[in-house]
Amino acid sequence: MKINGVAIEDTFAEAFTMRVARLVITGRTLRWAREAAVKLTGFATSVIGCKCEAGIERELPDSETPDGRAGVSVLFLTMDKASLPEQLIVRVGQTVLTCPTTACFDGLPDAADRLPVGKALRVFGDGFQASKLIGGKRYWRIPVMEGEFLIEETFGMVKGVGGGNFLILARDADAALAAAEAAVAAMTGAPGVILPFPGGVVRSGSKVGSKRYTNMIATTNDAFDPTLRAITASQLPEGVNSVLEIVLDGIDGPSIEAAMRAGIRAACRPGVQTITAGNYGGKLGPHHFYLRRILGEVVA
Amino acid sequence: MNSQPRSWGGMSDAVTLTLTTQPARTLVADCIAADRFAALDAKEIAALPVLHGGRPATLGEFFKVRGERASVVRIEGDCERVEAIGTGMAGGELVIDGNAGRDLGLAMSGGRIDVRGNAGANTAGAPAGAARGMTGGEIIVRGSVGDEAGARMRRGLLVVTGDGGRGTGKGMIAGTVVVFGKVGPGAGRFLKRGSIVALGDVAWPATFGYACTYRPPHVALLLRYLRSRCRVEVTEAQVSGRYERYSGDMAELGKGELLRWVGEDGGA
Repeated sequence: MKINGVAIEDTFAEAFTMRVARLVITGRTLRWAREAAVKLTGFATSVIGCKCEAGIERELPDSETPDGRAGVSVLFLTMDKASLPEQLIVRVGQTVLTCPTTACFDGLPDAADRLPVGKALRVFGDGFQASKLIGGKRYWRIPVMEGEFLIEETFGMVKGVGGGNFLILARDADAALAAAEAAVAAMTGAPGVILPFPGGVVRSGSKVGSKRYTNMIATTNDAFDPTLRAITASQLPEGVNSVLEIVLDGIDGPSIEAAMRAGIRAACRPGVQTITAGNYGGKLGPHHFYLRRILGEVVA
Repeated sequence: MNSQPRSWGGMSDAVTLTLTTQPARTLVADCIAADRFAALDAKEIAALPVLHGGRPATLGEFFKVRGERASVVRIEGDCERVEAIGTGMAGGELVIDGNAGRDLGLAMSGGRIDVRGNAGANTAGAPAGAARGMTGGEIIVRGSVGDEAGARMRRGLLVVTGDGGRGTGKGMIAGTVVVFGKVGPGAGRFLKRGSIVALGDVAWPATFGYACTYRPPHVALLLRYLRSRCRVEVTEAQVSGRYERYSGDMAELGKGELLRWVGEDGGA
């Protein structure tokens, strides 16, 4: 299969089940909502080193937020149930609570699993906090020097998908970067999906474990490193001199598939030779995103 | 408003009570509660006890009952002399197409009462001698209320689109009272916790202390909820405006508040 002359390998991206929460952060202006969201999702690229993965899902117009102000929706993922509230309490407390004018709302109101994030953070109010029940939802009003910080008492948690991916194999680094940027632009704002890495792009794809260091959880994916082509079991086709990876996390499989479809199509541009994906032989992750099947409907 | 409730398999979408005999004296109808009607057929509803001028009577002597076994109840007619409607109501929806007498939603704990007219004194209040009034649910009065509405309220929401009487929210323990019109004197006296949001004129007791002028985020959220879900007329200036916060009652716990709307650019 080829799109715009770019080969689509017959393989699949292997992804994992993660726990996900969606936060809606609003502010007096979009700028302040974004400031909080950017800090909240900082250093949250991979559970390998950050214990969580997070990113801005999309910007929300005032018609889509609970308090009628501009906002940003954020997806936040961890590998297990217990660590999601831990991470949220620490991060929301340090980044959203501290940010001028913001309020924080649950973006998964129908989720049965509830995380007591606002309930935990209320104690910052040192006994001066107050709660309000509005439309069946409880909110906490935490007094701060600026005025009040409003946060919903609980946040929904559902099973999500982490680690959707595809690799862009290109003639050179410039072509790989241009294709990655095009892919990210096509996927930005896709509902239910985040791209947790810087600019949505990863240059340091990893393999599980190490050939040399026993304490390393993950090390460089030498099979796709062009500089190691001559000394490793390289998987790079001839003519490929640079590889970039796009990693996607999402609310569910269909959201990831839709974003991958848009992203891969956008990445198929001059200078790109092959699109492939990372997997572990299908033995580790229950979610398998077959590239050709995802793209099947749109390929002429 | 006069649509016949649909009935299917012994259940209706709604129970409608139409006032057919205007009571000559005060009619205490504390049997009317939306959740209670969910288990009763029309005959049983009509047979519920009321007090007319202190004498025992039945609901059916004053109201025509249509529909059965539904937790959505509509009352048609001017019920200004009908007291204690919705007493102890724990769920369901009760709509009153007209005025309601005193003690509306007495000690109510859940559900919603929507009055398309005025309501009497002690709306959302407590029974005589009881420590707590309303403990949950929502009451919306699309008109004015009598004295001491929301008195000793423990939780819940009382919204008055018209004026509040004397002692609105007196002795509140928690919960929220919103008054769009003028609030009578003595509002919030002996308030422990809870919020009184005044969109119109209000005089706060001397035992309240001014805190600041700001945009309380929960008020914006609440007003937007009232506008979108309860169809209460709320202006954007009220949603995004500034409010003076008075803490009180300092003669009590002092953790309550009276929030007075001062307009978009008012105050500080």
